[in-house]
Amino acid sequence: MAESSPQPKAAVAAESLTKRYGNLVAIEDLTFSVAPGEIVGFLGPNGAGKSTTMRILSGTMAGTSGRASIWGESVALNPTAAKRHMAYMPENNPLPEDLKVEEYLSLRARLKDVESKQVADRVRKVMEDCDLVRRASGRLIGQLSKGFRQRVGIADALLAKPKVVILDEPTIGLDPHQILGIRDLIRSLRGEMAVLISSHILHEVEQVCDKVVIINRGRLVAQGKTEDLRRELLPDSVFHILSRASLNEISAVCLQNEKLSLVEKIGEIEGGWCRYQVTMPSQSPARETLAGSLIQAGLPLREIAEQHCGLEDIFIAATRRSPQERNRA
Amino acid sequence: MHHFRTLLWHELRTAFFTWSNWAAAALFLTLVGAIHWFAILECSRAPQPWTPVEATFRLFWLPLLCVLPLLTMRSFAEERRQGTLSALLTTTASTAAIVWAKFISAWITWVVFWLAFLPFPLLTEARLAIPSDTRLGDPATLWGGLCFIMVSGLLHVAIGILCSCLTRSATLAALLTFITLLGLTAAGGAIESLPIESWTWLGWLREPAAHLRTFGHLEDFASGILDSRPLILYITGTFLCLGLSVIAVEGKE
Repeated sequence: MAESSPQPKAAVAAESLTKRYGNLVAIEDLTFSVAPGEIVGFLGPNGAGKSTTMRILSGTMAGTSGRASIWGESVALNPTAAKRHMAYMPENNPLPEDLKVEEYLSLRARLKDVESKQVADRVRKVMEDCDLVRRASGRLIGQLSKGFRQRVGIADALLAKPKVVILDEPTIGLDPHQILGIRDLIRSLRGEMAVLISSHILHEVEQVCDKVVIINRGRLVAQGKTEDLRRELLPDSVFHILSRASLNEISAVCLQNEKLSLVEKIGEIEGGWCRYQVTMPSQSPARETLAGSLIQAGLPLREIAEQHCGLEDIFIAATRRSPQERNRA
Repeated sequence: MHHFRTLLWHELRTAFFTWSNWAAAALFLTLVGAIHWFAILECSRAPQPWTPVEATFRLFWLPLLCVLPLLTMRSFAEERRQGTLSALLTTTASTAAIVWAKFISAWITWVVFWLAFLPFPLLTEARLAIPSDTRLGDPATLWGGLCFIMVSGLLHVAIGILCSCLTRSATLAALLTFITLLGLTAAGGAIESLPIESWTWLGWLREPAAHLRTFGHLEDFASGILDSRPLILYITGTFLCLGLSVIAVEGKE
C-alpha cells in the first residue's frame, strides 16, 4: 500500500509538460499542480489533450519534455515509486471480461503492493464503499452494466489507499442516480486523497471540485478556484429585466447608477412587456442598487434577475481565448 | 521482476479457463493422434526405417505451426485491444515481469499439450508391444523428443509472444507467428538438405548453418546427444525475443 512518506507541497505536479507526435503537438508547456487532499477538475474540449496528460501523469505514456511527478516522485525517473502513490482509472475503464469482480480486485490489490493479509479486507471495504457487494461481487465483469463497471474501476483505484487518484471521465455513460453515487464517493475522498478528475459534465465538476484546470489545444488556458476564474474571465455582471418601460428609460436609470452600464433590448412579449439585458462591471456597487433604483423611478417592472455564470460560462470563455491572451492575463 | 509470481499464477489460471486453449488442445491431440495413428498403420503394413514415435516427432512442425500461434496470439494483442494492458502497467508490476509471466504460462501450456500426447505411445506399447521389442518406439526417442520440444519450445513460444506484442490484432499476431515459425523451421530443414559440404564457396556458411538444423537437433536429442550449441541457440534466441518484447510493450504503450 502507499507508504507513509513526508507530505510534499504538490501531490501531482506537471511542469512544462509537452508531448509531440511527429509534427503534431498534443500538449505543450503544461504546468499545473494538485495539492494533497484537493479535488481538481481537469477540463478541455475533445482533443484538448486531457487523456494524454493523464496518461503521462500515470506513467503509461512518456512525455516528450517537461517533468511530471506524483507525491514528489518523478514519473519518468522513478516510475515504481510514483505508481505506488497513485491510482489511475483510464477513459472507458478497460476491464477483463472473464474475471469475477472479487477475483479481479484481489489480483489488482496484490499487484498494487497491498499486504497479503490485508487483501481480503481491502477488497471487501472498497466493494462496500462502491456498493458492489450485493449485486456484483460474484458476477463476471463481462456481465456487468456500464454503471457497475465504472464502480469496479473506482473500487480498483481506491484499493491501495493511494495518495493520488486520477480519474478519466469516471461518470461517462452513467444514469443520474449512478452519477450521484459516484459524486458522493469522490466527495468523500476530499482531504484523504488528491483527486484529478476529467469530465465533460461541468455541473458535476463544479459540484465536486475545489479547483479547475482548463486546457485547450494542448495548452493551459485557465486554472484556479471557480470564483477566481469567474472574476478573471467573466468580469461583467449580467441582469435580465422584464419591464414595460422603454429602452431609453431603462438606460437612463442604469447609467445613473453605473456609467459603464450597457443596456440592450433582447425581446418583446405580449402586452408591451420587453426583455432587457443590462451588463455592468461585477465590482460595481450598482449591482446592489439597480432593482431599487428601477422601482424608485416608477418604471413598470415584473422581473429582475442576475444571470448566474456557472462553470460552463467560465469554460466557454476560457477555451475561446488564445494562450497569448492568457499569458497577458 | 516485481510481481512475477502473482502474474504467472493469474496467467496460468486464465490459460486453464480460456475456451480457445481447450479448442487448441483438442486440435493438437487430434493432429498428433492422427499422425501417430497413421505412423502405426504404416509400420504394420511393412517394415519402416523409423518407429511411430520417431515419425510423430519428425512431424512436430505441423502442430507447431497450427497450434502454437493459437496459444500465444492473445497474450498481448488481445490485452492491448481491450486496453487492459495499459491498466496493468499502472500498477507496480514491471514490464519484464508481465512479459515473462505470459511467456512461462504459454510455454507450460505448450509442454502440457505434449505431455498429454504421452498416453498415446504408452498405451499402444502396453497393448501391442512385446517386451524388449522397440519397433513401436524406443523410450529414449520418446523422452529425447520431449526434451527437444521443451527446449526448442522456449524459442518458439518467445517468438509467438514477440509477435503478439507487435500488434493489436490477435489474428495478425497468429499469422506473424505462423510465418516466422515456418521460416525458422523451413530454413533449418532447407539448410539440412543442402549439400553445403560440397560447395567450397559456401564454406563460411557451414558452421552457422550447423546451428540452424532443427531436425538435426531433434535427432540429437532423440538419440541422447546433449549438444550445447542448440541449447545456446534456443536460450539466447528466447532472451533476445523476450527482450524485444519488453521494448515493444514499453514503446507501444
